Amino acid sequence: MTQAEAFSEREMAMCAVARMVEDGKTYWAAGGGTPLYSVLLGKKLYAPEAQYVTEDGVIGPIPMLPFEPMMAMVAARATYKALSWGTMNTAGYYAQLGFLDYGILNTLQVDKHGNINSTFLGEYGHGGRRMHGPGGADTIAACCWRTILITDQEKRKFVEKVDFISSPGFLDGSEGAREAAGLPRGTGPWRVVTPWAMYDYLDRRLRLIARSPWVTVDEILAECDCKPLLADTIEVMEPPTDEEVQILRTELDVRGQTTDAAGSWIVWDGEKYVKGT
Amino acid sequence: MTLASSRPIELLAEGQAKYHPVDPDGFREWVRDHKSRAMVSKLMTEKEAVEKLVADGDYITYECNYLTRGPNLVINEIMRQHKKDLWVAGKFSYPDVGLLVAAGCVSKIDTGFFLCTPGVKTALAEGRVEIFEYSNVVLTMRLEAGAQGIPFIPIRSFGGTDGFDYSGAKLIRDPYTGQPTVIVPALNPDVAVIHVQQADKFGNARVFGTGISDVPAALASRKVIISAEEIVDTEEIRANPGLTSIPYWCVDAVIEAPFGSYPGTVPGYYASDAPAVMECMGAVLRGDPQAWLEKWIYGVQSHREMLDKLVGASKLLDMRKREVIKEGYRP
Repeated sequence: MTQAEAFSEREMAMCAVARMVEDGKTYWAAGGGTPLYSVLLGKKLYAPEAQYVTEDGVIGPIPMLPFEPMMAMVAARATYKALSWGTMNTAGYYAQLGFLDYGILNTLQVDKHGNINSTFLGEYGHGGRRMHGPGGADTIAACCWRTILITDQEKRKFVEKVDFISSPGFLDGSEGAREAAGLPRGTGPWRVVTPWAMYDYLDRRLRLIARSPWVTVDEILAECDCKPLLADTIEVMEPPTDEEVQILRTELDVRGQTTDAAGSWIVWDGEKYVKGT
Repeated sequence: MTLASSRPIELLAEGQAKYHPVDPDGFREWVRDHKSRAMVSKLMTEKEAVEKLVADGDYITYECNYLTRGPNLVINEIMRQHKKDLWVAGKFSYPDVGLLVAAGCVSKIDTGFFLCTPGVKTALAEGRVEIFEYSNVVLTMRLEAGAQGIPFIPIRSFGGTDGFDYSGAKLIRDPYTGQPTVIVPALNPDVAVIHVQQADKFGNARVFGTGISDVPAALASRKVIISAEEIVDTEEIRANPGLTSIPYWCVDAVIEAPFGSYPGTVPGYYASDAPAVMECMGAVLRGDPQAWLEKWIYGVQSHREMLDKLVGASKLLDMRKREVIKEGYRP
């Protein structure tokens, strides 16, 4: 497998998530963007026996790709050849019952305890910026056994405390906080993936465990308003392969919207990966 | 009955927001007094259905959204008739909540997910709309409680969020497990609007494919408007009763509505008109939907006239042709 010579930053994050996808596990992908395409990529290349569920309760479709614009749910191509159709209520049952191993989410803001904000930037109800709301993400974050969060590495996104908890992480970080709030035991945030870095949680605190080849740990920390814990060894993540980016571009996200083809790119300069201009 | 003593239900926390009133006995009485058990034809136009069944101030839920199997012709008619002060369940919505706000129809939103357009932000800032926080699943679970005729439902999500504080949820100590458990109030909307693939004239309705909460919404709502791509004979319904999603006695209006979800898709029937979807999304996202409303809503008298004047048979036939997947969408 050859490493790709040029890729968007978003492709890097999606490929990192795709490689985590495991056979025999279930994934609830939030919405139809980076989470869904990461699972589909993982299924195509690494774990064909992984199953996924979408918000409209569909189990294990073999979608007819590519989707029409904005048609990732309640559409014939997206739900094609599923094992079962359903509803949002049935998706909720599966999650509450513990059938869903991993939830994959994206967000605008995350804090050191993995709480997610997709509702409001600023002080709630006082000016600030209203956003679209959690959609299905709150249930994913509450009930899937483990959650994987995809976001961009920006200082304003990694904060000490989110302005508004739309979807629960470890709440105030204390042991048992989720259970005390009524959430199922044994659940919670598991990984955060950005184009630059990967994090896990140690004692419910965000911890940096890996970096991309083109950034240093200091550069990552400069883009974190809340400073994560650091693992003893910071691994270096593998860049996307030619095969991965080819599938993303020609089969999954042919318009380049989800992979953010118009955004930042990383290129191989003959010796190392550098940020494109 | 023995008086309980071991594990009292304890209220641990509660949200502070107003919520649509919970009244299961009142709902039963409404059913007794207003829902016809007789098999009577409920066929009418969208104009008649909205005039008759949607009142200013009603709580309204609609299934899916403007892009996929949405009851677009009824949403459009609500805007055309300038309904006011609606409280809308903005779950799994898309541009539709923004359109209804732009048309001046909505004063309260339970959400969920909706496209928070510049128009909604302005309306919020000016105090013309209020928002109450839930999530998509929490709202469909509230409808489920409404559909069961019970006052509230325990759920395993929503606890610990800030949305909880701005909702009608409560955290109790559950008397069975002793664990903290979130409960949310049943939702019994005044109106549900649902677009289906097939229905008979009495309202026996068939949904093919996935959805959000079609059946709970139909059961839970006082007034139910069904629009259908095709009106089928009741003998056809009786030939395959397992396909009936919604029974007739829930339903108050049936609208024959071919291409009723235009410009969105109806799975198995037609693909979306992507440029027209983008025109609509663009109008609400840019924050200037008035020209769009003039063209697509106020400038025509009905959905059929819109299809005639602004779309045309050629485009509709093309949408039908592009929907190549039929498996599961034909009995």
